[in-house]
Order: sequence, then structure tokens, then C-alpha cells
Amino acid sequence: MHSNCYHCGEKLPLRPILEHDHEFCCTGCAHVFGILQQNDLSAFYSYEPMAGTKPRKERADQFAFLDLPEIQDRYILFKNEQQIKVTLSLPSIHCSSCIYLLEHLNQIDARILHVQVHFARKEAAITFAPSLAFSELAHLLQFIGYEPDFSRIEGKDKKRNHQFLFQIGVAGFAFGSIMLWSTPEYFGLGKDNPEFRAYTSLLSFIVSIPVLLFSAKAYFISAFKALRSKTINLDVPITLGIIALYLQSLIQIFSWEGAGYMDSFAGFIFFLLIGKWFQSITYASLAFDRDYTSFFPVAVQRLDGESKTIVSVEQLSIGDTIQIRNEEIIPCDSYLCSDEAYIDYSFVTGESIPTRILKGDLVYAGGQIQGLSATLTVKALTNRSHLTQLWNETKNKIPSNQLIRYQDRIAQYFLIILLFIAFGSGIVWYFLDAALIFKVVVSVLIVACPCALALSAPFTLGNTLRALGKSGLYLKNVTVVEALTSVDTIVLDKTGTLTDPNSYEIATDYNDLDDLSFAVFVNLARQSTHPYSKVFAQQNEAIELLELQQIKEIKGEGLTAIYQGEFYQMGSALFTEIGTPKGNELLLKKGEKSARLIFKSSWRTHAIKKLIKYFGAANCYVLSGDQQQDAKELETLGFLSHHLFFKQDPQDKASAIQAFQKQGKKVLFIGDGLNDVGALGLAEVGIALSEDMFRFTPSSDAILDAKFLEQLPQLVSLGRYAKKVLQLCLAFSLSYNIFGLSIAISGQLTPLFAAIFMPVSSITIVVLSTALVQLKFRILFKS
Amino acid sequence: MGIVYLMLTISLCIAAFFLGFFFWATKNGQFDDDYGPSVRILFEDEPTNKDV
Repeated sequence: MHSNCYHCGEKLPLRPILEHDHEFCCTGCAHVFGILQQNDLSAFYSYEPMAGTKPRKERADQFAFLDLPEIQDRYILFKNEQQIKVTLSLPSIHCSSCIYLLEHLNQIDARILHVQVHFARKEAAITFAPSLAFSELAHLLQFIGYEPDFSRIEGKDKKRNHQFLFQIGVAGFAFGSIMLWSTPEYFGLGKDNPEFRAYTSLLSFIVSIPVLLFSAKAYFISAFKALRSKTINLDVPITLGIIALYLQSLIQIFSWEGAGYMDSFAGFIFFLLIGKWFQSITYASLAFDRDYTSFFPVAVQRLDGESKTIVSVEQLSIGDTIQIRNEEIIPCDSYLCSDEAYIDYSFVTGESIPTRILKGDLVYAGGQIQGLSATLTVKALTNRSHLTQLWNETKNKIPSNQLIRYQDRIAQYFLIILLFIAFGSGIVWYFLDAALIFKVVVSVLIVACPCALALSAPFTLGNTLRALGKSGLYLKNVTVVEALTSVDTIVLDKTGTLTDPNSYEIATDYNDLDDLSFAVFVNLARQSTHPYSKVFAQQNEAIELLELQQIKEIKGEGLTAIYQGEFYQMGSALFTEIGTPKGNELLLKKGEKSARLIFKSSWRTHAIKKLIKYFGAANCYVLSGDQQQDAKELETLGFLSHHLFFKQDPQDKASAIQAFQKQGKKVLFIGDGLNDVGALGLAEVGIALSEDMFRFTPSSDAILDAKFLEQLPQLVSLGRYAKKVLQLCLAFSLSYNIFGLSIAISGQLTPLFAAIFMPVSSITIVVLSTALVQLKFRILFKS
Repeated sequence: MGIVYLMLTISLCIAAFFLGFFFWATKNGQFDDDYGPSVRILFEDEPTNKDV
């Protein structure tokens, strides 16, 4: 038998669910399998085995808000009597089986008329009949494991930006055409056919106009901006080269002297744009810049006297009474109206144990209700709440990307030397042959135009970005590669980063219960919403259901029940009256017999050790929102005791990062929660660690799949290596430039030479950087 | 010799046609998703599939 769930591929629990001759990890997976079987969709399992996603349990009425017309309008693209069209973001789309299943949804429900999946963006364009409620559609998707992410509004308000591809197209068109009719010129036949040359030069001129005005405009704008702010970037010498090339060509064409360099001009722009395109490819399905709104619920239940209505969060006003149910997130700062409530602030503060709140107390937006639902009175609107203000505050502190690109720093020297050479050769030619001064100076500017230099960075960094993406680290853009090479200090969040939030170790301290009583306790735990009971129930999911009587829950303390006339108690030490409380425990008691379970979130030990080894313990710090209880264990893992900071609220974390930076450290911060937002933004590189790549992550420079945390050292060294490759490429391209310059200074530059020289130098750079980065990637990860 | 002018003009027109075609394809989203279509073609057409 296999040891993995037939549907989702997760490791099977001790007692898996056996259905239809296959083993499943949970009832959810088994149900989806059943549904697919019934609807002739078993092919789902043949395209990719174990391709399913474990369905998350749906909260009651989780999608009820979708039936509100004003909320529907945000998602619906088109609507008439026969059909409704929506585009939904489905983050769990990951393989060909997903595409198969989603595009055959009409076999499950005939009211779904058509589905088209956009794989790269992880979206599905769905057309369905109005007889199917929007909430039912969401429910079905959730049930089969594709929970829609309603915080991302897709389709609408998104203008697809194709301008860049158009620019490349125009430049490529001009490049090819001009080269075609310049062929005679390359063989020196142009001089003998002045009429033909006039005709082709004119054509070249016409075709080059859109290249200059449309394709190349980004370079002019960038160079102009740089000069206006009195800085120099690589686009300045590029623009200088482009203008020299174009002017020289115009003069040649209209003085009927020659055909000019229009082919080189168009090819130059074409190659530059290709380089830009190569580095601009990013991860369309990942959101690096989420704002707070995507974290809060879209709608809540408002109580108007006796009646409940679902309203969107924006429609709430101060003084409204709202009801928040188990596991829902509080959308605005409010006062508690119920007698008491348990609120999990782990998103906001990092503190993992739920806080007990009493009637009249203030609760902050961002907290998650645990257990019984709570009634609240709105005190401040979402955009004025404590958390949102903090978010905006730290956002404002983040300096706009002041990192000067490496190639721009080089460009400054490059430009000075270039102007010097141009001027110098002008003087020399004044004495040799004054008539050629202009030609030589322009040739210098043309040949020195740093095309290969400009391509080095996009290709090296773009290749690195892709290689990192293959191993689970998704960078926002290529500037992060450069920042990554400079980091020397690593600062880590504790909860969720150093610990694995999905895995608790349950240690049994002592246990003198028989199997049946144990099963009764598992059933009792299923009734409770306390985090420990939930973990206990989850880890023993396969235990059969038992009918318990008189289940009572005393909030925050424990549960009692009766089964076959016997009395069972489960909860804290005080509640069960066994010994003294030791914390992080769950006690089970039946008559005289009892058991004690100890809960501990498990450390990512392997990854932690590797990180400390790579960066050195002296450069590793921990910032935790939690209490100090784990200090000992962190020290045994290898951290220095004075590098551990506890009880850090989001503000503290941000200031700690700033303090490190004042000491001249380049900080890499790894965090996972909203409480890390400030620190993630301030650090040189902020990496959001994510268990589930496509769910909520705070805004950051990069997203790292939690599975690959232990590979981070390799990833950083790949980044550092990329910088060396970049330097090598720059050296190569500079030597090309020097060679070209020597030709230009001696006054021998011909259109043919320019037409061959430029592409050859560019192509070597592209090949060199790609090969080197790929090679290193293989060495680091394939072995 | 005159023929070469005609041929150049024609080749330019053909190139312009392809440029237009490229624009059209881009606007239509032909280059948006480079994975989906490659998989979709391999799906069996099952008789139960009620096409719209």
C-alpha cells in the first residue's frame, strides 16, 4: 500500500480513511475523490498523480457575502439573463490536472457553462448560468480544493499592458527590414547604384521613425530623469549613443553620402528591449505588495436589532453592532458586547496564545475570534484602525529604493572616460585630417555605446532570478538579487518562521488510559475549538466517531462529557484537578486514570542549523513577539543568548532593524506575519516565509516557500555568485568596447563592421551569463 | 533592375502585415499563458462533456 493520500499526496495519518480501494488522509480528500469518480473525471488522477489539494473546511456561510449585489459587482465582468462571467483568483492551481478538472466543471454541475484557466496568473474565467448562485459556485470550488481568493480582484480594472511587446515588435520589424535592403551595401555595391541607395535609405529613414519615437522612448525618459536629478545612470551613455547613431545616419542619408547605420540603430534598440523583457518576467500569480485590505474580510454580519444582514466592510459605520464567528477576523477596532471572547492576535503581534477579552474591552482589528462567536460595537472604521495605521506608518518609513544599480555606478566612470576619449581623438584628428573630426567623434560615440554592458545585468540577474524561482525563492524583481548579495546579518522571526506552525509535537507525559477512553477523548476534542484540542483531534482524525452525551465546554478551561455512563474530563490542570499547571498541556481524566499531553510547536531544526552555520552565530538574531519561554531551546539550537529579543511588537521589530542598519549591517529579515510588515519593509531584503505560497503574505521583497528554508544558504551563495558573473560580463563588454574604439579612433568604422560587431558582442554576453549561472545552479542544487 | 524596387516594396508590405498580425495576437492574449494551451491539447474529449 502507498503511504501517501491518493488525492492530495500528503503523508497518511496512522489510521487513514479507506474508500473505493484507495487510502486518503482525511474525509475531505475522500469526498472529492468520490465526486470526481461519480462525474467521470477520474482522469484527474492520470495527468498528475496525487494532484489534489487538501480542501479546507468551510466555515458556515463563509461565502454568503457573495450574494450581495454590490459585492458581486466587484467580481462580475458581464451579466445577462443567460449567463454570468467572472474571473476568480484560485491560488491552488498548480498543474495540468488542475486545468483538466476546472475546465470540466460542467460535468459536476451543468449550470457551470464554461471555464478557462489562465495558468500563469492562477485565474479561472468562469461562465455560469444565473440559476447558480455566486456563493454556490464559490462553495463548489472550495469543496474540490480550489478556494477562491476574493481579496484579489481580477479581470476588472486591470488593463493588460502589451505596450512593451509592441515596442519589441516594432524594433524587430525595423531591424529585419532594414537589414534586408542594406545587404548590397554590406558588399560595397551601394556606391555604384546611387538611385537604389537613395530609395533604400529613404525606406530606412521612414521605418526608423517609429523605432526612435516609440520603441526607444523609455531610454530617453530614463536618461532625462537621471540628468534632471543630477545623477548618471546607464541609460545616459546609451541615449548618447542612440542619438549619435541616429544623427550620423540622418546626415549621411540626406547628404546622399551613404546609407547610414539605421540597421545597427534598430538592432541596438531591439537587443536592449529583449534584455529588458528577459529581466522583467516576474511571477504574475504572486502578490508582493498586498495592502491591509486583502487581509480583512470583505463583508461581515451586522446586527440590526433582531435581524442579521451581511454588509460589506466599507458600509459599516461607528456604533454598528457586528457579529464575528469562530475563526473570522475582526475588521475594525471595536468594543466587546458579549460577555467574553478569545482572540488570537498572532497575526498582529506574533503572540501565539489566544487572549481572553471581557465585556466592554477594546479589541483590535486583525484579531481572530477563537471559539464562540462574539458581538462587537464598532469603534473605528477599518482604515482608521490601530493595525492599518501601523501598517501605513511603517510603509511611509520605508525609503524609496535608493539602491543604485551596479551597472549605473559603472556608467558614471564609463561616461567620463568615453567623453574624454571622444574629445581626445577629436584633437588628434584635428592635426591629422580636420575634415574627419566629426566622423571620428561620432564613430567613437556609436561604437562605445554600451550595448553589451547594458545587456550584462538584465541577463545575469534575470537568469539568477529564474534559477532562484526554481528552488522556491521568488524575488519581486532583479534589484533584489543585487541586494541579496550584500547581506551579512540575518534576522529571524520566531513563531511561524523558526517554528513550523503546522506541526505540533504532542508528547505524552504519562498515559494510563485504555484505547476506548482515548477514543472518547479524541471525540471530545473534536467538539472543542481550543487550539490544542484541535491539534489533538487532527492528529487522531481517523478514530471512529462516538456518540457522547452531555458535552459541556467551559471556555478556556476544558470540556466534560459522559459516555456509557462514565464521566470524562479534558482540559487544564486546574480544571481536571491533576497536579499543578505546567503550561502547554492538555490533561485527560477518567475516574482515577489520567493522561498528560504536552504541546510544542516543532522547530525547523535542520534549516536553523544550516542558517547558523552559513551566516555564523554572531550574525544571526531572533526577534520574537512571544514570551521568553523558548530562550533555552533557541540557545541549544545555536543562537547566542544576547541575540535573542522577546516581546517585540511590530514597532519594536522595525526599530530593531533600523538599529542594526545604523551599525552598518546589511540585514536579511525573514518573517511570516503581519507583525513583521515593518521589519520586512525596512530590511535590505525582506523575505516572507510562506507555508502556502499563494495565500496571504505580508508585503515583501521576496517570498520563500517554507519547505525550502534550509536551502537559503545555497540561494544566497547563488546570488553572490551572480554578482561575480556580472563583473565578468562587464569586463568582457568593456574589452569589446575598447576594441571597437580602437577601430573608431583610427577612422575605419564602416556600416558593415558596426552591423556585425554589435550583435556579436551582445550575443557572447548573453551566452556567457546564461551558461555560467545555469552551471552554478546545477552544481549547487543537483548534487 | 526595376523589379528590385517592386520586390522590396512587397517584402516591406509582407513584413508590415506580420507586424500587424503580431499586434493582433498580442492584444488577443496569445502570449499571456504559455503553459495552459500545451496541456489542454492533450485532454481526451470525453463524450459526456457537454460543450457550449
